[in-house]
Amino acid sequence: MNAVESTETLNAALVAGATEHRDPDWLVAQRTAALAQIDQLRVPKFHRFIYRDWNLLDHRLLWQASDPALAADIAQATDHGQLIQVGQTTVAVNLPQALQAQGVILTDLFTALTQYPELTKPYLNQIIPATEDKLAAYHVAYLNSGIFLYVPQNVVIDQPIEAHIVQDSTQDGPQVSHVLIVADRGSQFAFTQHLTTQGTRANLANNVVEIVANDNSRIKFASVDELGRDTLTYFNRRALVKHNAEVDWAVGLMNLGDTLGQFDTDLVGEGAQTDTKVVAITSQAQREGINTRITNRGKHTVGNILQRGVLLGTSELVFNGIGDIIHGAAGANAEQENRLLMMTPGTHGDANPILLIDENDVIAGHAASVGQVDQQQLYYLMSRGIDRKTAERLVIRGFLSAVLSAIPSKNVQQQLIKTIERNLQNG
Amino acid sequence: MSTLEIKDLHVEVSDEESQKTKEILKGVNLTMSTGEIHAIMGPNGTGKSTLSQTIMGQPAYHVTQGDILLDGESILDMPVDERARRGLFLAMQYPAEIQGVTNAEFLRAAINARRADDDQISVMAFLKELDKNLALLDMNESMTERYLNEGFSGGEKKRNEILQLLMIKPKFALLDEIDSGLDIDALKVVSKGVNSMRGDNFGSLIITHYQRLLNYIVPDVVHVMMGGKIVKTGDADLAKTLEKEGYAGLRDDLGIDVALVDED
Repeated sequence: MNAVESTETLNAALVAGATEHRDPDWLVAQRTAALAQIDQLRVPKFHRFIYRDWNLLDHRLLWQASDPALAADIAQATDHGQLIQVGQTTVAVNLPQALQAQGVILTDLFTALTQYPELTKPYLNQIIPATEDKLAAYHVAYLNSGIFLYVPQNVVIDQPIEAHIVQDSTQDGPQVSHVLIVADRGSQFAFTQHLTTQGTRANLANNVVEIVANDNSRIKFASVDELGRDTLTYFNRRALVKHNAEVDWAVGLMNLGDTLGQFDTDLVGEGAQTDTKVVAITSQAQREGINTRITNRGKHTVGNILQRGVLLGTSELVFNGIGDIIHGAAGANAEQENRLLMMTPGTHGDANPILLIDENDVIAGHAASVGQVDQQQLYYLMSRGIDRKTAERLVIRGFLSAVLSAIPSKNVQQQLIKTIERNLQNG
Repeated sequence: MSTLEIKDLHVEVSDEESQKTKEILKGVNLTMSTGEIHAIMGPNGTGKSTLSQTIMGQPAYHVTQGDILLDGESILDMPVDERARRGLFLAMQYPAEIQGVTNAEFLRAAINARRADDDQISVMAFLKELDKNLALLDMNESMTERYLNEGFSGGEKKRNEILQLLMIKPKFALLDEIDSGLDIDALKVVSKGVNSMRGDNFGSLIITHYQRLLNYIVPDVVHVMMGGKIVKTGDADLAKTLEKEGYAGLRDDLGIDVALVDED
């Protein structure tokens, strides 16, 4: 089969799959346009991290039902918004009556594309366009699951909206999932997601989050990422933050498999803000590369990055903190701190602040460190009778606390601490 | 009754930069039992801190000869945490600072490390004990929710060492220059804490430069260390004599050939 035929075959299969799924025409057009570009586009660049041998493309648009029982241990919420999804199967959508009455929409993505095209079509794949790189194009072409959240103008939600997304690796097939969040002007809410894996098939996860934060909105996004050892993961999460809006990220990267992560905030509006916090633990022979980027475009925008990572086993973890201040973003403020703690000698850690500043009137600062665990601290703890393993865990918890304590939702915080303890034991 | 015996202890340390080793302790002998307070005095650089760190098991100190016995059993092969669980405690001159771990969390972990998994201390019992000891040491309750030693002043760190001593209740406490950097009021408070532990089940080895501390914690036995050895042992009066005559006087009386660091 030559290359042209192969492209045609893939295209035909993609169109057939999308048609079978009754995708709206505009989405099918997006898919085929993206597919045509995959080969021309490059993979995204992760400074000092090589992943050439990772197969991050799985050219199958499969429609698979998953067993809802795989989410049996997730408690159904009654007092706050919640959506539970296993693979492509939406198991539960719980949205309190009061929120529905205010016009809040929480639903599976494909339902939203047909029912609310006016709220989805202008945004889907617009914050992260398919033209950006090979993996973004792949995502658009092979999108197969997702969630949509819309919060109307000036609606303030007290309790976090929760999403539980279970990646179904009891069967073969990629998870190409998309969370689209549209915050209308002046809305305020928190969205927390928990990603887990069931099953041990070797699968690809390509998970995108797009957040549109309209003027004066405030969004707190938190994610506990706990995908399995046999899942190869690509995350791309990005927020477009408009006039005086704020999007804060708290990401707990606790995946056990190889992972690429891009977390971007585009501060386009004047006075837009973000606080981006990432904690990661890598273990065994795992490899993980993270680009956390804030782009200051608007005047008086404020962006902070705080990243902490712990390396166990023979793992590799690279934190790139990218601060990009565009010409004209006068009065912008960009601070970042990236720190790694290597618990064993065989690990490989890299913390790179990358500052791209094209404006004079700014305040920018950075700090980075890669270090071994402090033997004096361990000695001190052990001299009080605490065994080495526990002492190490205390030191690690302490090291991560700067990020953990800043996580807004107590539930997410507890979940993350539990996961950290588990990962440290597995390490 | 428990005993701590140090027999002909020789210890060297290796300097990380020069890769050279240096013998600091040159045959220390000392025996103490619970119910007794011993003080070790001596000039700077004579090995007092080395002795306490070696007893605790600091990995930088290498025992080349001799033994340390706790209740007749050698502890040289035991890791630091096991020595601690057997009943040893070292109040350190320079306690480590640990971010993100609260004092209270740390104290509970230390207490529970000595107890079986099915017999962990209850929150109520822990808080009751904590409140009692905080009051004794004139410490603010907010200290317990602060991160372990982080941003503590010198005096706060010393008090915190004594708070741990009171909470953990070891058999033997080694107090390494617990008086350094303390004003007189803090010194009294710290001494009150140590004195409250006195009894048949507690012994302490107090390392100090100055006799002043020993006015508040009156020792049963005073040892003088010079040149890596104990050169003289006596009662509390020995400390007073030293304070008057200085270490140089004693050295010359005993005819010992060591240079004192601070001697011109």
